[in-house]
Amino acid sequence: MPTRWLTGHETAEAIEDLVPGSVARSTGVACYLKPEMLVEACHALRDDSDGLDLVHLTNLCAVDYWSHFEVVYHLQSFYKNQFATLKVDVQGRDKPAIPSVVPVWHGAWMQECEAYDLFGIVFEGHPNLHRILLWDGYPGWPLRKDFLSMPGGLQPGLNEFAGTARREAPPVRLVE
Amino acid sequence: MTSAIKSEPFILNIGPQHPSTHGVFRVKVTVDGERILDAEMVMGYLHRSMEKLAEERTYTQNIPFTDRTDYLSSMSNNLGYCLAVEKLAGIDVPDRGQAIRVIMAELQRLASHCMAVGAFANDTGAWQTPVMWAFREREKILDLFEMTAGARLTCNYMRIGGVAFDLPKDFVPMARDLMKTFPAFIDDIDGMLTENEIFLVRTRGVAVISPELAVNGSLAGPMLRGSGIAWDIRKADPYCGYEKYDFDIPIGYQGDSFDRFIVRLEEMRQSVRIVQQALDALPGGPHSTQVPLALRPPAGEAYARVEGPRGELGYYVVSDEGPSPYRFHIRPPSFINLSVLKEMTVGGSVADAIVALGSVDIVVGEIDR
Repeated sequence: MPTRWLTGHETAEAIEDLVPGSVARSTGVACYLKPEMLVEACHALRDDSDGLDLVHLTNLCAVDYWSHFEVVYHLQSFYKNQFATLKVDVQGRDKPAIPSVVPVWHGAWMQECEAYDLFGIVFEGHPNLHRILLWDGYPGWPLRKDFLSMPGGLQPGLNEFAGTARREAPPVRLVE
Repeated sequence: MTSAIKSEPFILNIGPQHPSTHGVFRVKVTVDGERILDAEMVMGYLHRSMEKLAEERTYTQNIPFTDRTDYLSSMSNNLGYCLAVEKLAGIDVPDRGQAIRVIMAELQRLASHCMAVGAFANDTGAWQTPVMWAFREREKILDLFEMTAGARLTCNYMRIGGVAFDLPKDFVPMARDLMKTFPAFIDDIDGMLTENEIFLVRTRGVAVISPELAVNGSLAGPMLRGSGIAWDIRKADPYCGYEKYDFDIPIGYQGDSFDRFIVRLEEMRQSVRIVQQALDALPGGPHSTQVPLALRPPAGEAYARVEGPRGELGYYVVSDEGPSPYRFHIRPPSFINLSVLKEMTVGGSVADAIVALGSVDIVVGEIDR
């Protein structure tokens, strides 16, 4: 039987039962959690062996949407063979921060380091958050959409390459 | 009486240039004598920021990037990415295309596991013979890739909607012949290593991963199955028609390096079975659907995964209706499998750390991307 891909609404209902007040909103794809309740909700989801039983954090990554960042958690259950997507909105481009889920899933350790390295999102409570792929002291955050206007993105001539200026101006420019 | 020899911890660098790290990868171990007290990984020497590059190229232009992440299993990487885009854009693949994809993915698993098993034997001290035998068999698979796709390592063969070319007419008989002789090679490796006393002493009980840690540490693939968790995406969430083929999932029961080796060896036998069945039941018809070159999938996101040789290989693609992905993320199995390296090595000896690293089967191009 193929994997059951839970919709955001199904996941949201289950989480609301476990930890009331932790869901911000839900869509057909993902369930958005409130950052301050994230760790508590994740603990409950992992240990909820009769319900969703999301024991395995498959994938963790971030997406830059200009106005905010989204951190995406892909979770799955081996025994129930189901798959859920959780998301958290992270506000602010100066020092975006959300709680770390390393206490819940050890596998988040390196993936959170990667998201910090490439997006500059600080995962509070991470035991050893550091630049994992780039070197310490690298000035910019490469996967942000405004990377080219950062110190690390400014290389002589790079802005002149075909294709780099193709995307139209973003709706919000928040870089000082 | 206290010992006359004083010892104190010191830091030893394994890598970045070291044969057992299989690439440019460094492990900083703190050792007291021969015992490891701490292990810290340093990576990124091969970082090319593919996820950023992919945001500036069209969906089709991104396929060659996926070859170069995990360069030992380019077909599986192509497949994972194409599945993600197909899911996003709602594209169906004809039956023949799906069967060819399965054949190629399984041949790639054989080629990749040849490297994994051979290099692992090298790490444990079975110097050169197993790895050369494995290379010899891998060459034959790469020859098949070369005659189909024109390249041996970075095949760039899958396309969104199918595969790039139909199989050449010699492919099926040649692949059938190879699948007849391949089990003999697996038996050779099996006979040479599995009951070899030195190999057993080097691998049994070394770098044990408990099932709880395997699940909590997000492991996938042979690392997860070696710890006794029967989880294979080909069975759990079949793609490309894997539900039509008859194969088994081998699992280990102790979670040590030996079990991971045995799981890989048995997976090779199962892959041979799958390739034989797929060759026998190869349907006719087109190998690909027509997909516009400048593909603009509807806004949204898709996460698709395949069971690559190293574990769950996922692609997360976000579209904003533009000609190139808004966000392109790879879930690299050997990067995430490394998250338990510290637990595997601390408390053991330096020689065991080499075995532990070998049993993870890392590909540095995929770790650093």
